[in-house]
Amino acid sequence: MLNLLQKIRAIVNKTQVFKSIFRHGYPDTDGNRALVMFSNVILHLHPVRVRRGALKIKFTWCLGGLTFLFFILLAITGVVLMFYYVPDTRRAYNDIRDLGTVIYFGSLFRAVHRWSAHAMVFSVWMHMTRVFMTGSYKPPREFNWVVGVILLVTTLVLSWTGYLLPWDQLALWAVTVGSKMAEATPFIGAAGPFGPELGFTAENDMAFALLGGTVVGQSALLRFYVLHCLALPLLMALFIAVHFWRIRKDGFSGPL
Amino acid sequence: MAPEDNKGKIEDEDVSRRRFFTLMGLGVGWGSLFTALGGVGVGTARYMLPSVLYEPPTVFKIGTPEEYGIGVDTKLKKERQIWVVRNERGLYVMIAICRHLGCTPNFFQDQSLFRCPCHGSIYDTRGNVLGGPAPRTLWRAAVSLDPVDGQIVVSFNTRQDPDPVGTPEGLMVEELSREVEPYFLKV
Amino acid sequence: MSDKVSDLAQDSSKSGRLASLIKKTAAEKVEPEDTVLVWPNLVYLELICSMVAVAIMLFLSLVSPAPLEELASADTTPNPTKAPWYFLGLQELLVYFDPWLAGMVLPTMIIVGLVLIPYVDPNPRGKGYYTFSERKFSMLGFGFGLALWWVLIVVGVFFRGLDWSWYWPWDDWHYHQPAGAVKLVDLEIILQNLLGLSESPLVTLGRYAITTANLITWVLFLAFYAVGFTVPFLFFRDFYRRLGFVRYNLVMVMFISMMGVPMKIFVRLLADVKYVLVTPWFKI
Repeated sequence: MLNLLQKIRAIVNKTQVFKSIFRHGYPDTDGNRALVMFSNVILHLHPVRVRRGALKIKFTWCLGGLTFLFFILLAITGVVLMFYYVPDTRRAYNDIRDLGTVIYFGSLFRAVHRWSAHAMVFSVWMHMTRVFMTGSYKPPREFNWVVGVILLVTTLVLSWTGYLLPWDQLALWAVTVGSKMAEATPFIGAAGPFGPELGFTAENDMAFALLGGTVVGQSALLRFYVLHCLALPLLMALFIAVHFWRIRKDGFSGPL
Repeated sequence: MAPEDNKGKIEDEDVSRRRFFTLMGLGVGWGSLFTALGGVGVGTARYMLPSVLYEPPTVFKIGTPEEYGIGVDTKLKKERQIWVVRNERGLYVMIAICRHLGCTPNFFQDQSLFRCPCHGSIYDTRGNVLGGPAPRTLWRAAVSLDPVDGQIVVSFNTRQDPDPVGTPEGLMVEELSREVEPYFLKV
Repeated sequence: MSDKVSDLAQDSSKSGRLASLIKKTAAEKVEPEDTVLVWPNLVYLELICSMVAVAIMLFLSLVSPAPLEELASADTTPNPTKAPWYFLGLQELLVYFDPWLAGMVLPTMIIVGLVLIPYVDPNPRGKGYYTFSERKFSMLGFGFGLALWWVLIVVGVFFRGLDWSWYWPWDDWHYHQPAGAVKLVDLEIILQNLLGLSESPLVTLGRYAITTANLITWVLFLAFYAVGFTVPFLFFRDFYRRLGFVRYNLVMVMFISMMGVPMKIFVRLLADVKYVLVTPWFKI
C-alpha cells in the first residue's frame, strides 16, 4: 500500500503540471527542502535554516504568527459575512439577525469572526509585551517596532469600526461615545480645548469628518463599513508585509 | 590676459549659471509637486466633510405650554431626546444628551436626579452637575411660542451652554442667569 | 549566563558566521550543529500551532455565538453601557479625566510613547533574551504602564455595574447604588476654603478669572513636572548621562505623565477632587 502511494507520487512528481507548479519533488531531501523555501512565495517568508532555538515555543510563544493567523481568519470570515450584509440602517440589524437565525452556518461564521477579533487584539498585545520583554526592538529593529505599533493601532480601530456594523444598541453607543471623544480633540474638535476658539463647530470638526454627519446615522454606518471592510484591511496588509519583510532582512533577535 | 585664463573664467561662469538653473529647476519642481500633493490632501479632507445632511429635523413643535405641569416631563425623551421642565417661573427644555460622552441619561423621579448609565454623571433638574465626570451642565434648547397655534417651538440649533462654576456641591450655574430668552418661556 | 554571552557573541559576528556557514555547506555539505532546516521542522510546528488555534476558535464559537442586542435607538442608552473589554481601560479613564484628555491626549501619548521606546532606550544589553537585572528601569517603566492598563480593564469588566457605579461581586447588580453620597470638588475650591483665600479674581483674562487659589493649583501642577524632571537629573547622574539631553527629556515627559494618571485617580478616590487644574478652556 505504502509502496503504491510512493509509486503514484513518483509518477505525479514527474508530470509537466506538477513540475510547472512546484519545480521540485516532495521536500524529503535536504536539497528539495531548501528549494521549497526559495520557490514558494508564502514559505519564502522563512529562511531556509533557523537555529535550533527557533523551535522553542517558550521564547516567542508563537504570538506574532498567531496574530497573523487570526487576521487571515478574520479576512476569510469577513468576506463571507459581506455576502449577506447591507450597510443600511434599515437593513443592517435584520441582516445580522438573519445570519444568526436563518442562514446556514451564518451564526458560526459570525462567531468565528468575533472570537478571532478578540483573539487578535489579545495576541497582538501579548506579542508586543513579549517583544518588549526580550528587548527585540533594540537596534537594528527599531523601525519594525514602530510598524508593530501602527499594526496595533490599526487592529484596535478595525475592532472599533466593526462594532458599529450590527447596528444594535452596543454598536450605536460604543460609537457614540467614541465619536464624542473625537469631538473633544484639542484644537480640531468642536468640544475640545481651543476647538470653538479656532472656529470648529459640530458641522466641520473631527467627529463630523468621521461620522459624515452630526449624529451616528446612515452616513456613519457607510463610512465605518468602508473603513472596516476595505480601507483599514488594505492598510493592515501593507504594514504586515513591511513587518514581515523586515523580520526576514534583520533576522531574529533571540536564540532563533 | 592669457586666453587660457579667459577660457577658464567663462567655464566657471557657465558652471555657476548651470548650477543656478539646476537648483532653481529642482526648487520649482519639488515645490510644485509638494504644493500639488498638499492641495490633494486639503481637497480630500474637504471631500470628507459632507455638504448635505439627511438627518432628523432640529427644529420641531412639542404642543402647548399648558400640557406640561410643574417638574420634569420625560414623555418626549424617546421621540425627541428632550426633557421639558417647568418651575414656578416658567418652562425650559433640556436636551437629553450627557455632556460627558453623549449617552442618554435616565431621570429618577424619587431622587429628582438625572443619572448617566455610561460613566455615572449625575445632574439635578436644572442641569447642574452634582457628580461624575461630566465637564459642563446640560444643554438647554432655544424655545419660542408659535404665534399662530400657540405651540412651543424647540430648536436644537441654538443651545445655552454657560461656563459653570466649581462649588462644593458640584458644577453650578446661577439659575436666574439661565432663565432668559430664548431659552426660557415665562408661561 | 554563559548561554546569553554566547548568543551575544553569535549576534555580533553574524556576517562572519554566515560566510563560514555558506562555505561549509558548499564545500563539505555538513549540517551546522545549531541550525535545523525550516522544512519540515518549523513549517510543521507552525501548521500544528495554527490547527490548535483554529480548533480553539471553532470551539469557542460553538460554545458562545456572537451576541446581538436590541435594535439601535438613540433615545435609550442601555445601563450600563460597556465597550468591548480592550477599550474598558479607556472607558474607566474617562471617569477620572475629561474626554479630551482620556479620549484623545492620553491615548495619543501612549501611542507616541510606544513608538519612542526603541529610540530612547540606549541600553545595548538585554537584546534577544529575557532579563530583568540588566534593564531594570525600562522593565519597571513598561511593566507599570502595562499593569495600570490591565488593572483599569479588570475594574471596568468586573467592578462596574448600573450607572457605572462600583459593584463588588457579592453586591446585588440589579439595584442602583445611591447617588450623590459623595460630592466632587475642584482642588482650587478645597484650597480656597482650607486657606481662607479670597474668591474674587486677581486678574481676569477674557473668560478666565484667575484667583489666588487657581494660581496655587498652577504652581502645584507645574511643580509636579519640575520636581519629576529635576530629581533624577540631580541624584541619578548616571541615568541622565546614559540617556543624554534629548532622550532624557522625552523619557521624563512620558514617565511623569504616566505617573500622573494614577496620582489623579488616587486624588479623586481619596479626596473627592474633581479637577486639579481649572481653566475655561480645559480642565485636568
